[in-house]
Amino acid sequence: MREWWSKLGALVTRRRGLAAELDEEMAAHIALEIDENIARGMTPEAARAAARRHFGNVTLTAELARQAWSFPTFESLLQDLRYGLRGIRRAPGFSLVVILTLALGIGANTAIFSVIYSVLLRPLPYPHADRLVWLGESTAKSEGISVTWVNYGHWRDDNHSFGELAAFERTHLTLTGRDEPLLTRAGLVTSSFFRLLGMRPEAGRLWSESDERPGAPKTVVLSHTFWSDRLGHEPRVLGSTLQLDGEPYSVIGVAAPGYQFFTKPVDYYLPLALSKSARPSRGQHGSIRALGRLRPGVTPAAAQADLDRIMLHLAEADPGPENDHRAYATLLADYLTREFKLTLLILMAAVGLVLAIACANVASLVLARSTARAREMAIRAAIGGGRARLARQLLTENLLLAALGGSAGLVLAHWCLRALIGMGPRDIPRLAETALDWQVLLFGSATTILTGIVVGLAPLWTLRKVDLIAPLKDGSRSVIGASGARGGQSLRSVLVVAEIGITLLLVFTSALLLHSLIAAQTAPLGFDPRRLVALELVLPSASYPSDESRGAFRDRLTEDLRHLPGAVAAGAVYCPPSGGDCGDWFYSIVDQPAPPPGEVPVSLFNMADPTYFRTMHIPLRLGRGFADADRPGAPRVAIVNEAFARKHWPAESALGRRIKSGGPYIAGPTYQIVGVAGNVSQMGLDTEPLPEIFLPFSQAPSAAMVVMIRTSGDPASLISAARHRVREIDRNLPIQSLQVFEKSLVATLERRRFSTLLQLLFAALAIILAAVGVFGLLSYWVNLRENEIAIRMALGARGTAILSWVGAQALRLIAAGVALGAISAWAASHWLQSLVFGVSARSPATMAAAALAVIATAGLGAALPTWRATRVDAVRKLHEA
Amino acid sequence: MSTVDDRRERLELLQGTLEVLILRSLQLGANHAYGIGQFLERQSESEFVVDNGSLYPALQRLLQRGWITAQWKTSPNARRAKYYRLTPLGRKQLVAAAGRWRRFVLAMGRILAPET
Repeated sequence: MREWWSKLGALVTRRRGLAAELDEEMAAHIALEIDENIARGMTPEAARAAARRHFGNVTLTAELARQAWSFPTFESLLQDLRYGLRGIRRAPGFSLVVILTLALGIGANTAIFSVIYSVLLRPLPYPHADRLVWLGESTAKSEGISVTWVNYGHWRDDNHSFGELAAFERTHLTLTGRDEPLLTRAGLVTSSFFRLLGMRPEAGRLWSESDERPGAPKTVVLSHTFWSDRLGHEPRVLGSTLQLDGEPYSVIGVAAPGYQFFTKPVDYYLPLALSKSARPSRGQHGSIRALGRLRPGVTPAAAQADLDRIMLHLAEADPGPENDHRAYATLLADYLTREFKLTLLILMAAVGLVLAIACANVASLVLARSTARAREMAIRAAIGGGRARLARQLLTENLLLAALGGSAGLVLAHWCLRALIGMGPRDIPRLAETALDWQVLLFGSATTILTGIVVGLAPLWTLRKVDLIAPLKDGSRSVIGASGARGGQSLRSVLVVAEIGITLLLVFTSALLLHSLIAAQTAPLGFDPRRLVALELVLPSASYPSDESRGAFRDRLTEDLRHLPGAVAAGAVYCPPSGGDCGDWFYSIVDQPAPPPGEVPVSLFNMADPTYFRTMHIPLRLGRGFADADRPGAPRVAIVNEAFARKHWPAESALGRRIKSGGPYIAGPTYQIVGVAGNVSQMGLDTEPLPEIFLPFSQAPSAAMVVMIRTSGDPASLISAARHRVREIDRNLPIQSLQVFEKSLVATLERRRFSTLLQLLFAALAIILAAVGVFGLLSYWVNLRENEIAIRMALGARGTAILSWVGAQALRLIAAGVALGAISAWAASHWLQSLVFGVSARSPATMAAAALAVIATAGLGAALPTWRATRVDAVRKLHEA
Repeated sequence: MSTVDDRRERLELLQGTLEVLILRSLQLGANHAYGIGQFLERQSESEFVVDNGSLYPALQRLLQRGWITAQWKTSPNARRAKYYRLTPLGRKQLVAAAGRWRRFVLAMGRILAPET
């Protein structure tokens, strides 16, 4: 070992110096001899000649000396490989099982790692992406809310932390003046946005500060995709105008294709500054977020403190209701992956555990085989194979097996990856770009080599204790087994117990997730999702400038749709169930003490028309629904959901109470509660219902709406009639979406279904591997004890006695494994809790079910060898022995 | 020491003995490769052939194992030469190996001794 280290060290430090030093040393050697020869009376010439002759071949000597520093030659490595291949071919069944097991483990790991690499680890494709920071405001209650335009301006001008800041916002605009009205996605950005993200023009130019000054002509930069897909890739488009929400914008450039910053890609970019009024207030929020590039050496925390300083200063210089607002800064890479990180890491942990099980299985197999090969090893050692050489041979063989398994695993990973990308939820950023690139291949190779070494170590450990004499002296195999295999046997038992434990952990986790998925799918929705069509519209402000015109349109549309053949009812809402976060806002209860500024509660706000609750079959627990009498001039009314009512008046009626929008410190209207509606999951099916306030559209107008149509028959058949209807009312109005509602509802569970499916897959893999492990171990155990069993039988033991003897052995293993798994699941419940819905991460019932499944499968694996133990032919066996 | 200038038949070194002999020669103090060769030849009364093709690789192996160290020094007659020195580990190895060889030689001697 020490020799190897010196050689390795020499490789790094003195490879080149060695030859020169040897030359010098040998020159000195000859010179010393010449000196002596002269001293003995030779002439200098004779002395020199004699010394040279005496030394021998200088070159050869130097070469031999240098060789002492080199590693074993390539030939001996090839020889090891040849032996290894021969060993693999000699035991095809064994090798196939090992290779397949490793392929499954390594393949699954590589596939999941490639997703993790692509989504979490790969640097974002922006210049200095590691210094890009996502910025928002934060309050005591929520972090990362929108930045006001005024605050952004102060941040940009007064900070000491950022090289550059940019602000951006998204909006929908209608493109007209072409064949069909089109609802398009606009990115409102500052010119610095392009620089921060390293964007370049493909044609024309991107805009600069001068295009953002008040009074500058309205310009637009197209995205590459929009230009080529929607505008026919025409170069003539430069300099032409686009009618967006009725206003002309002249096209000055097309952005080069590349990675889109926005998760839902935008069609074009407009100057954000021009969309803001000349004198905005500091508390006027839109949906602006900001992006900054940190100066080198500045941390996000330091930058946040810097911006907080500005906010504190502003609270004095320009006081307002939002004096307690502070800045929120986090690295862009962290921000973009915040929702997926835990899910992906838990998947990685799960798949890593599957690999651990695979390794345990293979190690146990290899161990069994090496015990069976004790004789071969003893012979090799006896005829002069050094122990180190034998160890190298075994390691080479196992590495070779791992390499074969790893290669098969990479092929498997390639297929899995395609399936993963195909099935994966669309909203995971960069999932679609996942590929087996070199970093992933590196990971796969490293995993393979590590696996090979881990698997190879087990037999090395037993090799240390190989008894050279006993296996040679004694021809019979059973004796070797009974004496030499005990050590390996206990190691294998430990492996199998660990395997069962890990399997239980995986099965339990996937059972929890499955339970959550079922709970989410079957949770009471609060409405009847069947036979519903959802029509989503945004009214362009150009053709619907006033609240009256929007109200009139909405009333007419719902009325018309309600009378379509096959329609039963129709009602409009701003944000449908599972529509996500459509906006929350501060509020306070009138006649209750005002909360301190940092603790003003927040509720979801939503708008609905008088027929919405009836259409959706959302029950009204108390009071009334909205009525036509709730007109703009009439007293303001609101309907709250049960969660809201229970939060404030758990024992009393909410009817007649008054809510003030904005809370005590921000101006806002006051509403009287006229009804309490049943809870509906607003944020998604797998979330608990949050407090929610509904306002009537007539008193809280909105340009965006979703009209829900209840049908008597198949909802799909109504879709084209509904589209036709919209076209008849306004042929310039783009439809944002029109589909059977149940479909979009189910889509909200896409991510949960995805991770549950993967987890189930891993659990299934684990449980199969564990069963194989139990089978292998017990078969081997029975093999070793055939003589003992035969003797017991000869002494009168019945089949049932043998059965219970072997069965007890199996049960001991399984029970130990299950106990181990249950303890580790308990320990992991802290991490698991955030993944589950509607079930506790410490659910004893789920644990019991998982344990039962593991015990049953492991028992199945144990059944065959146990049965075989009772079939030992005692007479024949005893004759043999 | 090649055999060119001396026709008398010399003993071939047995496998593995050279390293012990080198360690032994360094027990008296640091020495260079030439000095080690001279010492072995002198002590064996010119019975052993010490080939430089074996001596140099053997020195390298001993260096790798950490049994000896090397250092450039000036010889008494003002020549710079590489001097090898025993390490504590090498000293221990020498004691063990010498013991083994003495037993080996004794055993060989008993067997080969003429019957009396």
